[in-house]
Amino acid sequence: MARITENTKNEVREIVYSFFAEECEVDRSQINDNTNIIKDLDGDSLMFLELIEIFKKKYTLDIELKVIGKYAVKNPVATIGELIDMQLLIIEHEKRLLELEK
Amino acid sequence: MSLSDQHLAFIFPAFASEYTNHPGIKLPGFIDHFHTLISIASPEAETRLADFDFENHNFLEDELYTQFITYIYSCAASVSLRKNGFIPSCSAGYSMGIYAALYDAGVISFTDGLMLIRSAYHAILKLTAGKCYNMGTVIGLDIKDIKRIVSASGATLEITNQNSAYAFVISGENTEVLTALDAAREEGALHVRQLNVNTPYHSVFLQPAAMEFDHAVRSLTFSEPSCPILSLIDGQELTSPESIRNELTNNLFHHLNWFHTLMKLLDNGINTFIECGPSRGLLKNAKFVEGKFKFYALDALPH
Repeated sequence: MARITENTKNEVREIVYSFFAEECEVDRSQINDNTNIIKDLDGDSLMFLELIEIFKKKYTLDIELKVIGKYAVKNPVATIGELIDMQLLIIEHEKRLLELEK
Repeated sequence: MSLSDQHLAFIFPAFASEYTNHPGIKLPGFIDHFHTLISIASPEAETRLADFDFENHNFLEDELYTQFITYIYSCAASVSLRKNGFIPSCSAGYSMGIYAALYDAGVISFTDGLMLIRSAYHAILKLTAGKCYNMGTVIGLDIKDIKRIVSASGATLEITNQNSAYAFVISGENTEVLTALDAAREEGALHVRQLNVNTPYHSVFLQPAAMEFDHAVRSLTFSEPSCPILSLIDGQELTSPESIRNELTNNLFHHLNWFHTLMKLLDNGINTFIECGPSRGLLKNAKFVEGKFKFYALDALPH
């Protein structure tokens, strides 16, 4: 289980904001934690998958995509802030993510 | 990048599910070529085609018209790209994108492409009339999980394409496709979606239609391709009219594998791809393939 530091939080936030600004071709200043990924940015599931792959590589995460999928079904994210929180949980708990449900 | 590049491939997508914000609008000459081809196609195919416009993106509810529009769009992209100096060393057509790939490589005329699309559609329609088929996409599961779900969800279900290590297309009877999509979601798929079609493209169910379609294919004159076209069935280079005729017929009922085709193109030294159509779907999928390459949509081409 990884320890989530302030540095990790800032890093994840930076990656998520930059990613959506580039992918959705919007100015970064137009994105905040309350921005709705689908309604406001026209985001899609492939972007979500791409972001997961970025974090899997960056933090060498040991977790199957379907574990994230099962967690996401029960804990859907709509906003940038919620997505950042989920990514932090994935980094912290990796393949034990679903144990948070118990 | 050199515009006429030995490492450049044109990729022609399948029919689109939307035309909004179409990328061709930024390609010099595209709009003129598109309208010219529409005017040729209207009497040749169906007169209603002349009513198409990008504001209303009409015809999306009609499989045949959607195929016509995507084909015309891709052919206009091909002409525009070549007039702007982009000359590929090879190409590939994703699913029904093969018709535009053949036009691009000079194998068939524009109007013969329309005729082939119509012939395939009507041959298929005879088989599917009165029945309820569907297709779906699953993202986020691996091949092992997908195979297990498909075999457990119904006898008619098939995995008919693979887009990346974690993205698949399934085809079959409607209820079985829906069952499989539910099971995939339950298994942890990040995304599942029904496609807006009534036909199980690339499934063995369509084999009888392929026999009828073969007559149409063999009634036309095919020329040698100006560049090799990669088969999505087995990854081989199609360089002769006969191999292309066989590919066209088999394309209807054979499983495809876009992921393996892309890997093969990379193995062959291709490092630059242009998606020649109204969508960015293949560009998005390519982000999940390892390798040093660039994939461009029509609105963001290299200078």
